[in-house]
Amino acid sequence: MTIRSNIKANQTTRMNVLTPDQCQELVYAAEEAMWRTGTNFHDEESLEIVKKAGCWVDGERVRVPAHIFEQALKTCQKHIVLCNSRTGARELFVEGYNSYFGSGPCTPFTRNPFTGERHRATRQSVGWATKVLDALPNIDYAMSLGIVQDVPLLISDRHEFEQQILNTDKPIITVCVDQWGQEDCIKMAEIAAGGEEELRRNPFICLYAEPISPGVHCREAAQKLVMGAKKDLPTIYTPCIMAGGTAPATLAGVMVQGLCESLSGLVLSQCTREGAPFIMGGVYTILDMTTTIFSYGAPELSLLLAALADVAHYLGIPMFGTAGCTDSCIIDEQAGIEAAISIAMTNMSGANLNHDIGYAEQGATSNLDLVVVCDEVLGMARRLTDGIRVDEQTMSLDMIERVGPGGSFQDECCADDDFDDDMDEDDGPSCACGNFKPRLINRAAREMWEKAGGKTLTQAANEKVRDIINYHEPEPLPKDIAAKIRNIVENAVGHMPGED
Amino acid sequence: MPTLEDLSKCVIKGNVAKTKKMTQVLIDEGVFPLDIINKGLIAGMGVVGVRFKNAEMFVPEVMVAAKAMSQGIEMVKPLIAESDMPSAGKVLLGTVKGDLHDIGKNLVGIMLESSGYTVIDIGIDKSPDDFVQAIKEHQPHIMGMSALLTTTMLHMKDTIELMKEEGMGHVKAIVGGAPISQDFADEVGADGFAPDAASAVDLCNSLLN
Repeated sequence: MTIRSNIKANQTTRMNVLTPDQCQELVYAAEEAMWRTGTNFHDEESLEIVKKAGCWVDGERVRVPAHIFEQALKTCQKHIVLCNSRTGARELFVEGYNSYFGSGPCTPFTRNPFTGERHRATRQSVGWATKVLDALPNIDYAMSLGIVQDVPLLISDRHEFEQQILNTDKPIITVCVDQWGQEDCIKMAEIAAGGEEELRRNPFICLYAEPISPGVHCREAAQKLVMGAKKDLPTIYTPCIMAGGTAPATLAGVMVQGLCESLSGLVLSQCTREGAPFIMGGVYTILDMTTTIFSYGAPELSLLLAALADVAHYLGIPMFGTAGCTDSCIIDEQAGIEAAISIAMTNMSGANLNHDIGYAEQGATSNLDLVVVCDEVLGMARRLTDGIRVDEQTMSLDMIERVGPGGSFQDECCADDDFDDDMDEDDGPSCACGNFKPRLINRAAREMWEKAGGKTLTQAANEKVRDIINYHEPEPLPKDIAAKIRNIVENAVGHMPGED
Repeated sequence: MPTLEDLSKCVIKGNVAKTKKMTQVLIDEGVFPLDIINKGLIAGMGVVGVRFKNAEMFVPEVMVAAKAMSQGIEMVKPLIAESDMPSAGKVLLGTVKGDLHDIGKNLVGIMLESSGYTVIDIGIDKSPDDFVQAIKEHQPHIMGMSALLTTTMLHMKDTIELMKEEGMGHVKAIVGGAPISQDFADEVGADGFAPDAASAVDLCNSLLN
């Protein structure tokens, strides 16, 4: 028997881009930028709030003294849990090194999985997308994968939310067009949760707002953030930054610019209400200097966001990351490469809540085939981070001795005794050695693969999408609740942007 | 003495200081001013445009080349009657009301300027009235509107309608931004749509020729 003492082991595979010292340098630089340069708030109420808290306000420009930021960092809630919308069960612990994955929001276009047609997203397409997200085992939460556009556009968010809540019990991150939309969506969530208190106790929705880089908090974003804080609901604040476009071309410059924007949002959130749950977001990438697009497939995106995960861990605050997306216009080899690299890297970095699975065409079009492919990639990525357990049992010296030179290990699959023969096929990796069990990836011999139709990965994924849409039945929402939600959608009033 | 071809090469390389120096020498030597512009500075920029399309040059290189060209042009300008100054056309750009996003619009502006257009950028959050007033003031050939959001893009139609009411039908209206498509452009009565900054230049060229 081996008796180990003072050993340091990796529970999971880990990756770091930055050391704690480098994180500290970036945070101090962001504090300096928040003070020296400041950011602009295009919202009267927000300006009042931060001014009252002691920030220096000059017109729209807000300069945050370091001690106010440091106080905000202390007061924000770090332990954030997202729940099941039907049962209130506490499911996603958005903190520490937990990594959860889901889809992205707000694509103007989507691809119809039955006809292959690319069209503007609709109520039906968001309903289908949510159903697919609901059915996939590695997808942890739902974002809409489309802006509903077969309804009046100014109230599209209410229709989106209705389609989401009808088709999944997984937590929902809702992106609203403005504060009025967010107010309606919160009302709908409160109805589903059984009241305001219940939603606050076991939140199944997470709110979302974006500053406009560089350094501008538009009215809609600031208002949504303020409302999230007042309502005590988890709120993501996520700048979309382009190196060489809306931030310096140097990646460290991007980090400082992005942190300055996110953390100014944190300050607004905490000045509104101390203890408000805040999630620091980021889609940091490059402006592609050939096509002038915001790249969703660049390696710099994964590198920057893994670095942001290091900073989030250093600060001890939850983070919203980005993975599973592609610049490719179709789901081809490029899409697979870009989605896989970003998922694997993000998962290893330990970023908490990661979105944009299913984004194709630089985020312009959602694609459900890609969602299914990413679900498979997530299985592989999670196997990678499971690491290798090294102990007396797993080193299997007795088995090696028992089988001996020239023997066979096939009957000795697992080192320990808890291998469960009866495990359901659909339960994923069932063997106690924890190896990845492919559902979509082909490992069959050529003849077998041909016999099964000789399908590409994307074809197999598309078939699965169709199957889910045709046959999957999400946990139903009680009829009376669905009716009350419908009532809010039907009575929603749109507000033209730029007008009160 | 440097040749006009040397001047073109300087622009292509994006060497601002050398372009200025060489332009001055050519002026001093009495080279016909319009030739300095057309056969030297703009010719160089023409090559840059082709190389950019072929992905042999990137945006920052295009920008420094454009800077070299425009600084050279500024030096020659006083020697030419304003009506003789070559310009591909005048384009007025702005982001629609309620929308503060402008990186796409700015890129379109850079690309148009690099291609010889005179660009008037009226900024972000501009109402239909703001656009119409700016058109009255600047008399552009083309008016371009940008929007990033499906909510703010609705203002495009209002602006185009107001332009028509004001008798500005001769000004071509073009639209762009992430949620915009050709179908949407047709629906709101725009004269054109371009999916990215580089093709916005092609669109303007085709609308004016």
